Amino acid sequence: MLPNRSRTSVLVFLLPPLLLYCAAVLFPILQSLFLSFFSWNGISDMEFIGLDNYVRMLTADDIFWRSFFNALLYLAICLVLQLGGALVVASLLTSLRRGRELIKTLYLLPAVISTVAIAFLFVRIYSIDPVGLLNQLLHWIGLGTFERAWLSDVNTVLAAVSAPEGWRFTGLYMLIIYAALIAVPKELEEAAVLDGASKWTLFTKIRFPYIRPVWITTTIMATTYGLRGFDIPYLMTNGGPGQSSELLTTYMYKTAFTSTDFGYASTISVFIVIECLVAVGLILFMLKRKADS
Amino acid sequence: MITQTAPATPPAAVVPPTPAIPRRRRKPSLYRTLSRVLIMLIVIVQVYPLAWLFLTSLRTEHDFATGDPFALPSSLTWENYARAFETGDLGRNILNSFIVTMGANVLIVLFGMMAAYAIQVLGFRLSKFVRGLFLIGIIVPVQIALVPLFIDYSTVNLLDTYQSMIIPLAGFALPMSIYLFSSFFEYIPRETYEAASLDGAGPYRIFGLITLPLSLNTVVTVVLVNSIFIWNDFIFANTFVLSEDLKTIPLGLQNYIGAMGKVDWTATFAAVCVTITPLLLVFLVLNKAMIQGLESGATKG
Repeated sequence: MLPNRSRTSVLVFLLPPLLLYCAAVLFPILQSLFLSFFSWNGISDMEFIGLDNYVRMLTADDIFWRSFFNALLYLAICLVLQLGGALVVASLLTSLRRGRELIKTLYLLPAVISTVAIAFLFVRIYSIDPVGLLNQLLHWIGLGTFERAWLSDVNTVLAAVSAPEGWRFTGLYMLIIYAALIAVPKELEEAAVLDGASKWTLFTKIRFPYIRPVWITTTIMATTYGLRGFDIPYLMTNGGPGQSSELLTTYMYKTAFTSTDFGYASTISVFIVIECLVAVGLILFMLKRKADS
Repeated sequence: MITQTAPATPPAAVVPPTPAIPRRRRKPSLYRTLSRVLIMLIVIVQVYPLAWLFLTSLRTEHDFATGDPFALPSSLTWENYARAFETGDLGRNILNSFIVTMGANVLIVLFGMMAAYAIQVLGFRLSKFVRGLFLIGIIVPVQIALVPLFIDYSTVNLLDTYQSMIIPLAGFALPMSIYLFSSFFEYIPRETYEAASLDGAGPYRIFGLITLPLSLNTVVTVVLVNSIFIWNDFIFANTFVLSEDLKTIPLGLQNYIGAMGKVDWTATFAAVCVTITPLLLVFLVLNKAMIQGLESGATKG
């Protein structure tokens, strides 16, 4: 604490940021919670209906559950691509002597591109007429039977809209994990190699435990970003065909701004917040416990 | 995947220049070659789509509709760019994105620094609680704010303004900014402040003369990292902005989807190329600083 600070000086510095934060983040969260107990279309009077929205959501809304499971699968695909890909590339990168900076830059490139541009790009990559990159590639390597319109096929559309999101941010997570990996003390690694440790034991016994705190942070980042994924599915398929690529976020958005059912949309967004908090809690719980054992 | 490219890494390249530290000379091992090939492949997957995007923007429409997508364009044309500028108001979109990015960044940096200063340097009884309060903003998804803000904006007539985008963008980025500034302020030695206090400097002068000038590096980090996300923001702009005049780049690009969903793809790709150029240039010029920023953002956690 600074010796001659005054109460007013603390307020002068703290109040403006706190006000902005309350207006943009905290107050809307409370407002959503409040709205979720009402039925309201934005024009007529608000009608208090207690827990009806929650009951409807959890027991009577098939689309909600469909979107929930879709969102989990979307999250799983993003996590595998982002964290798995990031870990593999970061490890490979540490074995490289030259060109690390160039590869880092190239790898991060997609993160700079807007989601709308990425959605456009991937619509063309998946397209069948005129034949897009993916189908052409499958044709060349002799897997022509797999050629299809990836975004109209109910079996592939969810994976097809998840992949671009994973692709976009692997670079970001790779950077973070790479920075952690090169901070692992060389003496530790060399000692292990002298003791005859294989590359795999070196990784599981020395490197990974050392970067665990960073791994926890990245997992939390990737999970919360994955759960709020919205742009790419919304832009590429708008949840379709049918509900096969509907996520909770796109469903909430449509409920709010297409069906103007503000009350019910707020109920869904309260659920999304709870889902995020639970996910973060679970990650901390699981990874921390492993670290202690 | 594109296995033809594998021989492109000549085995000769595997022999490294002898490292400065004397160590056992290693033969180019299988592991090393494999990892090199794998890295090349992954980089191609990351970068090729973007190169393809650019190439397609130079193709003729006929070529695009009929040709092999991997082939090089049979002839290059700038016509798509002309059509791209006719269809949309790209200059306007870029200007709007610039205004929103600047506005939000000013708030994020200034307020982030002030809050971090109050919490970390000045200190007060509830500082732990306030810090926790800000932490919520990192976890909570932005979609929660859409409906409430839409309602609030329509009551105070803020819908369809620059502020309607800037406020939530800044608000949700604030926690990370506070966090980065706080962890930097920890490194400024206490003695610096105590000495300044003894010389009679109050909290405002210390902020202006010590903390602010010292944190310039962190400012660059915060601005660069946030700019990527704000420049590309789609969800807030799409929800709160209706008029053509205020549309940012992501919304402007959507104009290229014509009536009946018919899209002039080559012109669209030309527009995409134009709009990603500003940020791409900044990124390529400042990538060292940006990469450092992103790395430090999470490793300190």
